[in-house]
Amino acid sequence: MLKLLGGMIAAALPLGVLAAPESYTMDPYHTFPHFEVNHFRYTNIRGRFDKTTGKFTIDRTAKTGSLEITVQTASVNTGDRERGDRPRTRDEHLRTADFFNVVEFPTMTFRSTGVKFSGNNPEIIAGNLALLGVSKPVALQVQTWRCGQHPVSKKEMCGGSAVGSFKRSEFGMKYGLQFFSDEIKLWIGFEAYKD
Amino acid sequence: MSKLTVGLIAAVLPLVAVAAPESYTTDPYHTFPHFEVGHLGYTVIRGRFDKTVGKFTIDRAAKTGSLEITVQTASVTTGDNERGSRPRTRDEHLRTADFFNVAEYPTMTFKSTGIKFSGDNPAQVEGQLTMLGVSKPLALQMESWRCGAHPVNKKEMCGGSATTSFKRSEFGMKYGIPAMTDEIKLWIGFEAYKD
Repeated sequence: MLKLLGGMIAAALPLGVLAAPESYTMDPYHTFPHFEVNHFRYTNIRGRFDKTTGKFTIDRTAKTGSLEITVQTASVNTGDRERGDRPRTRDEHLRTADFFNVVEFPTMTFRSTGVKFSGNNPEIIAGNLALLGVSKPVALQVQTWRCGQHPVSKKEMCGGSAVGSFKRSEFGMKYGLQFFSDEIKLWIGFEAYKD
Repeated sequence: MSKLTVGLIAAVLPLVAVAAPESYTTDPYHTFPHFEVGHLGYTVIRGRFDKTVGKFTIDRAAKTGSLEITVQTASVTTGDNERGSRPRTRDEHLRTADFFNVAEYPTMTFKSTGIKFSGDNPAQVEGQLTMLGVSKPLALQMESWRCGAHPVNKKEMCGGSATTSFKRSEFGMKYGIPAMTDEIKLWIGFEAYKD
């Protein structure tokens, strides 16, 4: 009886291993959050954060997972980085207390509270965005998602992209709302390797 | 009779003046071409050129116009700008002869050959993209377009965005296909002031 039980546990173990959450770490060279803000209703300005780290877990059997992303706010980059005859560039302005206040809030984070699956793939990642010390719920919609092997290194990886949006005023970023839209669109492209 | 002619000319002149092409110069702080390239089938990498100059003309009565954009290829940035333990960053690699070959081809240009209007607004700008010394036809689809007065300085301006796509191999940029997609998507956000 004990032997049979032992055999059952042994037989069940591989399944148990398969169902365990797998954890992945974002590849910083291929993971960039971008944002879009409307300017005077004439055009959209796109910006990017150049330094982002992140981790996620996925349990494909239980269809659960978690995600945590940390963005270095000082790495904000909209392509305007030479002053010319101006007192400061736009990127310098974005780092001040008018916008990201990077001295006081060097990071912004997204922490998931739940992941909804569509079939075998994550589809909506509900979570909290912490920006300027304020945490508010933001949902990321996964646009594309694929896991497999890196074609060269053969390491297990996942990659894709996700979108979301929020109102910056809800986080206390109220500078220039009459000129720069309150609504911020997010787009994140990412790749991650299995730990 | 002569008086009548003069009177007619005087009456017609204001219309002629309105119908004359107006010329605009793009604002380098709010004009950025962006591109998207697929990476390994996993994610999309976005890049941007930080230095772009351009001019356009528009004749709203005749529904014609012209556009010329010059992009500094060395200003390419994808956010990968610190080597770490690698011999070079991605942005450094993009500047080599594998990609933009910025030493030999410091600029890429787009010159219009014709503009299609939809109502009063330009809808499609047909032209030639010159990259790596190769010129090929390319059509920009206008996504948004608006003209008016700058809300603060009251200068006449236009702004908007345009999209298109092309195959980089047609311009001789064949490195890393298909790990990095042949198809490149372009998105250009712009603002321009009336000269």
